[in-house]
Amino acid sequence: MTPVLYGLLVGILFGFALQRGRFCMNSAIRDTILLKDNTLLKSVGAAILVGMIGFALMTMGGLIKISPTPFFWGANLVGGFIFGIGMVLAGGCASGITYRVGEGMVSALSALIGLSAAATWTAMGFLKPIKDSLQTSTKVMVGEANPTLANIFGLSHTVVALVVAAIILVIWYFVARKNQDDEPKSTDPLVKRIFKNGWGWLAAGIVIGLINMLAFYSSTLAGRSYPLAITSGWLTIVKLGMSVPETKMGWDAWLVIGIIVGALIASLIAGEFKIRWPGWKMIVQTFVGGLLMGFGAVTSAGCNVTHILSGLPQLGLGSLVGAIAIVLGSWLMAWFIFVRPQNA
Amino acid sequence: MTTPTKTLNVCGKICPYPDMDTMTALKKMQKGEILEVLLDYPLSVERIPRNLKKQGHKLISVEQLDGPNHRMLIEAHGLK
Repeated sequence: MTPVLYGLLVGILFGFALQRGRFCMNSAIRDTILLKDNTLLKSVGAAILVGMIGFALMTMGGLIKISPTPFFWGANLVGGFIFGIGMVLAGGCASGITYRVGEGMVSALSALIGLSAAATWTAMGFLKPIKDSLQTSTKVMVGEANPTLANIFGLSHTVVALVVAAIILVIWYFVARKNQDDEPKSTDPLVKRIFKNGWGWLAAGIVIGLINMLAFYSSTLAGRSYPLAITSGWLTIVKLGMSVPETKMGWDAWLVIGIIVGALIASLIAGEFKIRWPGWKMIVQTFVGGLLMGFGAVTSAGCNVTHILSGLPQLGLGSLVGAIAIVLGSWLMAWFIFVRPQNA
Repeated sequence: MTTPTKTLNVCGKICPYPDMDTMTALKKMQKGEILEVLLDYPLSVERIPRNLKKQGHKLISVEQLDGPNHRMLIEAHGLK
């Protein structure tokens, strides 16, 4: 098997875990202000921590090389903010809309088409000049490298990552001890808990963190050297459809196909597959959301997966700024369309 | 058998409309009235029960119909 096909395998695992874990970063970020529900956010936090520790150990073992996204603060901010607005309209983050296609949600498919279209226009079409000017005018590097929380101080990545992870774990421990929420323990047999019930937040977070480690290693074997990411894969698939010269199915393009297959398998086993039609109004809204996400992701050099799930564990500054901008954009839009009408 | 006062069908709706529509409907109901929610979105089937308590509403039952389709009965808490 050629290494690019590892992308398909990792994608199937990732899609399965996303569907079972109901792992959606759009919900994770939005629910904190909308429903005062932190369950999914804790899941995302667990996945980031596993990635942070895992990547650090794998770097030490020489299995991978830390490869942070570029830092261009203007593009990271503007792109991330627009992406955050888009994902609330689209009803899902980049990974969210990808896996929900496998669950049969037509709204997710329309968001995905919007994302792919706008990503293409921004990478190589009429929106490219906007992206280019934002990126080049605000780009900052540390020597030849993209800046991270480690290399700006000239420190070793492994050491800084492990220290940051340890600090987060300690803070988390004390916060969690103060707000203990007793989740009911499931007594169902293990097979049922894996294939039929939704996963708990901790299990989902850890599994997704582990899949991300596998992703980093296997994509390194395929010559790509980055953990999970979504938008670049869709971009490749659009380019192939347009017969752009020298485009090949890469690890990341197989990954997104795999996610849909994995989520389809998971939802079929659990009996949760259903073609869901949300009405034309929603189709338009999710499509527009997808467009904003596509522009934002390419401008900011990353969607929520690239920046939050894969970038934060690598301590990249570009991903840190991108992630904060995504959160702010998402909160603004969630307030605008959900909170404000309720108080009116 | 509890008879619902009102029925809300949020099948096909995207995240987080099933949750938001349910909470909005409950807010407008009197104490003790029963809301029946029909939904097919897996995340909301788990998330709505989790968040009802915070608003003081009471979950009476969640019943799986076929596949992802669920029927939920909720007793409204009424105005605070």
